[in-house]
Amino acid sequence: MPARRTSALTAIVVPILLLAGCSTATSTAPAEAAGEPRSGGTLTWAIETEPITLNPHQYAQAKARLLVWNSFESLLTYDEQGRLVPWLATGWQAGADGLAYTVTLRDGVRFTDGTPLDADAVKANFDKLREEGYAPGVAAVQLRNLKAVEVVDPRTVRLVLTAPDVLILDFLASPQGALISPRSLREATNLKAGGLDVVGTGPFILDRYLPGQELHYKRNPDYDWAPPTASHTGPAHLDGITYRFLKESAVRVGALTSGQVQLVEGVPATDVPLIDGHPQLRLIRELNSGSAFSYYFNVSRAPFDDLRVRQAFREAVDVPTLLTAVYQDTATRAWSVISPASPFYDKRLEGSYGGDAAKANNLLDAAGWTQRDADGYRTKDGKRLTVRLIQAAPFVRDRRDVLAQAVQAAVKQSAGIDLKVSLVDQGTAVKAFDTNEYEVFENSRADTDAGAALNLLLHSAGGINRTRVHDARVDELLEQGQATADPAARADIYAQLQQVVVAEQALVLPLYAPADQIAASNTVGGVRFEPTAGVPASAYDLWIGQ
Amino acid sequence: MGRVQLRAVLRRVAAGVVVLWVAATAAYLAVLAAPGDTVDTLIGDGADTPQIRAAIIAEWGLDRPALLQYLDYLWRLAHGDLGRSYLLQRPVAEVIGEQLAPTLILSLAAATLGVLLALIIAAVTAGDRRPWLRRLSSGTELLLVSTPPFLIGLVLLSVLSFRLGLFPVAGDAGPRALVLPAVTLALPIAGLLAQVLRDGVDRALDEPFVLTARARGLREGVVLARHALRHALLPAVTLAGWLFGTLLGGAVIIEQVFGRPGLGQVTLTAVTGKDMPVVLAVVTLSAAVYVVVNTAADLVSLLVDPRLRRS
Repeated sequence: MPARRTSALTAIVVPILLLAGCSTATSTAPAEAAGEPRSGGTLTWAIETEPITLNPHQYAQAKARLLVWNSFESLLTYDEQGRLVPWLATGWQAGADGLAYTVTLRDGVRFTDGTPLDADAVKANFDKLREEGYAPGVAAVQLRNLKAVEVVDPRTVRLVLTAPDVLILDFLASPQGALISPRSLREATNLKAGGLDVVGTGPFILDRYLPGQELHYKRNPDYDWAPPTASHTGPAHLDGITYRFLKESAVRVGALTSGQVQLVEGVPATDVPLIDGHPQLRLIRELNSGSAFSYYFNVSRAPFDDLRVRQAFREAVDVPTLLTAVYQDTATRAWSVISPASPFYDKRLEGSYGGDAAKANNLLDAAGWTQRDADGYRTKDGKRLTVRLIQAAPFVRDRRDVLAQAVQAAVKQSAGIDLKVSLVDQGTAVKAFDTNEYEVFENSRADTDAGAALNLLLHSAGGINRTRVHDARVDELLEQGQATADPAARADIYAQLQQVVVAEQALVLPLYAPADQIAASNTVGGVRFEPTAGVPASAYDLWIGQ
Repeated sequence: MGRVQLRAVLRRVAAGVVVLWVAATAAYLAVLAAPGDTVDTLIGDGADTPQIRAAIIAEWGLDRPALLQYLDYLWRLAHGDLGRSYLLQRPVAEVIGEQLAPTLILSLAAATLGVLLALIIAAVTAGDRRPWLRRLSSGTELLLVSTPPFLIGLVLLSVLSFRLGLFPVAGDAGPRALVLPAVTLALPIAGLLAQVLRDGVDRALDEPFVLTARARGLREGVVLARHALRHALLPAVTLAGWLFGTLLGGAVIIEQVFGRPGLGQVTLTAVTGKDMPVVLAVVTLSAAVYVVVNTAADLVSLLVDPRLRRS
């Protein structure tokens, strides 16, 4: 029961630390340290999650993303506006029928083992990704429409598709699409686990890994191919950086306030005043892209097979009140299944539903849940209006367990709905989902292209379609969104989809937009988030001021 | 005489092997009986398609009958092959090899410190020489035994590391980083052992042989150390198994709080991830250490208690 322990621990420790800080100032510190970027020095950054693998092809943890880009890079990346821009590529061209993409490569790029980056190296990566048993998730989802990779000339590769698929470009900008040296692909002792002998082209070189403790990167002195989104060019400012794994947020914050580390990520809401009130520290925060943190209603069983009950559940929850209670004023309310940070977010949904207890009760009366039992819960035909929310402990973060309790109390009080919350291990959760023994599923995904998240969550053949919705219109919109190249047209398609899913069918209760926080010492400059993804960026732009 | 001893040793070894087998089997059954299956946990919250499932099943041979997989595990275990971790994609021996030393160092430091503290406390507070100190001490012991180790760790961290900066918060960089985790783990041990020891000393002090010793003109300190404490050690030594369990269980939490590498972290991840090869390896290893510790405890009892030698 590690998760339970952790939450109990946070509850106990936070007051201790707040006492230690004892400040009520709420002024926001400057976003940047004073002075000009300078070269040299090393930093220690306390991070929450130790990566399961250091091989970017096997990447599966959003919390590990900031590590990937230190030593690995992709062909494309996203800018602040959510547009794709070249990185290790110089450009790309879609075929007229959308069935091929020609990518030209930047000249003079070398992997840190000396191997040049050329078309053969790109092809070697794609071939490896499609090799049986190497990266089944990538092969089955991101690359499912990829037919072949052709080497046109040393600086040009062509990706041939079986069906039009704009998400292949998102893949080229993703950690799984990062390029590994062909020599590492051939010779690494533990390719799938990654390690010191699995190298990329990045601004840093991994030179120490102590499992359970820390990772250390040193500067790549030959680096000269920064993406256009970076704030400088040439080698990184820092000589090196250490990432220390500190799972407990209280310990991370304590290490920062006592000067033992200069940066931390993952700052709980309760510690925000402590950072804000500290003269030598500052806190920056950014919304993640992808899908918002939402409750998904299982429409394949009663009671959520009834639209009115789904709507009633949403009306029964006053989201802003709950967010304030659980996260103080640090959470951003979500209105759609898509994060407000995504270019596809449909603003029209804002204010269109929710928080109307009278409406919730009318809807439930109309749906036949008219009786009340001794405990005050609604019943119909002698059966209580009970819905089960399954939380898998390994994925519970951001105090989602506490938020669930708040929702539980709210729906009981305002509409007589019995929300049963189970915090269970991963195996039990998966079993409940597989056997359809749940009514509510909670999830957020940090995909850079929200379309990728929606494909998994809402398509009738999606890998995590836990609403169990099978709707031809939803499927069609998702498929159109994946096949349409023009961003404005895509945004239009996804707007229609959001109207169907959120407004018309009430399949989800969007709660908040996931965000990442970095707390940093004021001596550290260049602290930034990765554009569009909204997660902490790599160490490339970091520097130490006077 | 030699033959009798050899037979006793052989019997011990055979019993040890049986214990190991039972432990490995129990662990296997427990993981098997836990809800969900390995494929599910390997997929995590990612995409779940028949194609991905098939690839994972093929990779680890999970389509074989459970009994066959179990026999395969045992066969390889008997040959010293711990297999590969599903989650980490690396040989289990390598994973455990690099995490064993930090846990051993932490456990040994904590055990030594805990036992030393307990001996000192028992020696100082036993009898009715300083009733106020005795009351204070037993109250503190009770507090330490009943406080969860993570809380002790966080209080120590907040004061000694975050406020006073005396010790680093994390890592196993040098002996200074070992101090707080070892103290955290040692305090509950010291609390319980001190109570058991003091109880034993109290009882021994009422025995006629203590009166004899005093009558011979021995100083009270010598009476305590050479006669009473030695008597009190026996029940304490039998607690060695308990001590070992406390150390392993505590290490899981302490390693998490202090960001230390170690077996605790590995075990936690493996159990929640149904990473069978790692779970089996850790359980078998723990059982092996347990057998060794208990055998050692028996031997120490023989040394301490002449009555056992005669029988």
